[in-house]
Amino acid sequence: MSDLAIKTVNLTKRYSGLWSKHPVEAVKNLNLEVYRGEIFGFLGPNGAGKTTTIKILLGIIYPTEGEAYVLGQPAGDPKNHYKISYLPENPYFYDYMTGREILTFYAKLFGITEPERSKRVDELLDRVGLSRAADQPLRTYSKGMLQRIGLAQCLINDPELLILDEPTAGLDPIAHIDIRDLILELRNQGKTLFISSHQLSDVERVCDRVAILNKGMLVRLGKIEELLAGGYVEIIADKVTNNVLEPIRQLGGKASLHDGRLIVEQPDDGSVDRVIDIVRAAGGHIVSVKPYRRTLEDLFVETIQGGKSV
Amino acid sequence: MNATLAIAGATFGEAVRKRILIVILLIALLIILISPAFGPFAGGRGARTLIISFGFGVIQLAGTFIAIIMCTGLIPTEIERRTIYTILSKPVQRYQFVLGKFFGAVGTLGFMYLMMGIVFLIATRLALGEFDGRIIPGLLMFFFQSSLLAAVVIFFSTFVSPLVNYFLSGGVFLLGNLLSSFLETIQRNPEVTPITRIPVQLLTIILPNFANFNVQNPIINPEQVITDPVAYTVQTIAYAIVYIVMLLVLSMLIFNQREM
Ligand SMILES: Nc1ncnc2c1ncn2[C@@H]1O[C@H](COP(=O)(O)OP(=O)(O)OP(=O)(O)O)[C@@H](O)[C@H]1O
Ligand SMILES: [Mg+2]
Repeated sequence: MSDLAIKTVNLTKRYSGLWSKHPVEAVKNLNLEVYRGEIFGFLGPNGAGKTTTIKILLGIIYPTEGEAYVLGQPAGDPKNHYKISYLPENPYFYDYMTGREILTFYAKLFGITEPERSKRVDELLDRVGLSRAADQPLRTYSKGMLQRIGLAQCLINDPELLILDEPTAGLDPIAHIDIRDLILELRNQGKTLFISSHQLSDVERVCDRVAILNKGMLVRLGKIEELLAGGYVEIIADKVTNNVLEPIRQLGGKASLHDGRLIVEQPDDGSVDRVIDIVRAAGGHIVSVKPYRRTLEDLFVETIQGGKSV
Repeated sequence: MNATLAIAGATFGEAVRKRILIVILLIALLIILISPAFGPFAGGRGARTLIISFGFGVIQLAGTFIAIIMCTGLIPTEIERRTIYTILSKPVQRYQFVLGKFFGAVGTLGFMYLMMGIVFLIATRLALGEFDGRIIPGLLMFFFQSSLLAAVVIFFSTFVSPLVNYFLSGGVFLLGNLLSSFLETIQRNPEVTPITRIPVQLLTIILPNFANFNVQNPIINPEQVITDPVAYTVQTIAYAIVYIVMLLVLSMLIFNQREM
């Protein structure tokens, strides 16, 4: 139990509005385990139930069925909240407060007192690059600045587990990189990050494992490398003769030859070297060797559209 | 306690910088300042009564508007903007959130009453040449009236939308001001049957009695004779506190179950 940062057991959430006859089943029978110290990507199309799951983990809403545990305690236990933090999607804060005031406010919620409080607030403002705007009211902040304040408030208690709902939504490319770096830095400090996101290239770059949710159900779960296995390497060579085709095909690749130009799509499983050896032994001339990785986007589209047709 | 105070502080800081509330306060201050000018229309001793009564009227009206406008949005806005999620995911209990919001609202009302009270005292001192003894107890009573109203609004805001809340709490405030004298009238009338009387009696007991707080206003309460004003004031304030505690407990119970 203690090596798990998050665990859900048959978690189900039905929203039954007072006026709507049909309850929405936002999360269905979700079983999830997030290990301590990993960056976990929580993916899924709009309305898949990501935010709903996160709200249950925080005790903001209650599960209809099943259980959820955070750092080994039942979800929503306020004592546990000393060790976690949360960035909501599109956060807004108090209009008239300044960046410094809002961080001071959040520090007070943790009972952090002076002089520690001012020190930590200054450090965080610096860390998210808002030192210069620290004394401006939040209503004058841009979306990216608000997102940075949101991240700063996540770090105020030096949490063990960070739950981030779309941390890079609506940010410019530079801000993306900044936040990606920050996330990796946090992982290196041994923190656990649970990140919901639609920015698949960001997720692919930083996450250790991902889960894909569709219509409230878990449809994919695993390590990124494993989920994205099945890439291939494209080998192009010139001055190749017909007799190499057969041995190359026996190695499991797709090979074609036109006017001495060979194009091979070879599975990325260590046989690439042997293909190259065969080509060169036969006097062929290698033009290019280019790996084609499957991307998370490929996997995502496949998973969701595959799921639809079932 | 820390968290409650921090939330109260943040609520106060936001509320006193909210434009609509500042506008209401400034208009009230302006009217209070120029109100002694109406005194001479009544002439003689009537002038004093008119000035005091008018000032109290303005203060009560401003307090009522401020309480309702400020408190309807206090909790719903937090949910709509998702700020509340960042708060409840920290070591903050839901009851602390509700308490913090209420104390922040009361702090704001206190600040507004202080401003209006100071201007009222100065304006009447200038016009009458002396301080009127009714002003400070009267301000205290109206402050508690507004605080009770704030608790009513916050209570409703835990389960109805702001728009519905305006009507509900406005209605409760009106009824709470009128019901007790209405009940007295029908109790004096032998023709009223119990079928009419009992529901009115019940409503009078259940709804907060806002009329008790109006006693210092010499025009609203001309014939009422209070033998011991200190005891009456203490009693009425104690009533407000008990009623507020009840409303807050109910609000916390509802808010605890609430999904956001
Ligand atoms: N308070 C609510 N009442 C009723 N239905 C809701 C409520 N909140 C969410 N839902 C529904 O639950 C489903 C899941 O919503 P959720 O917000 O968890 O999705 P999401 O995965 O976070 O989507 P997105 O990527 O758009 O943020 C949706 O169908 C949504 O309409
Ligand atoms: Mg969402």
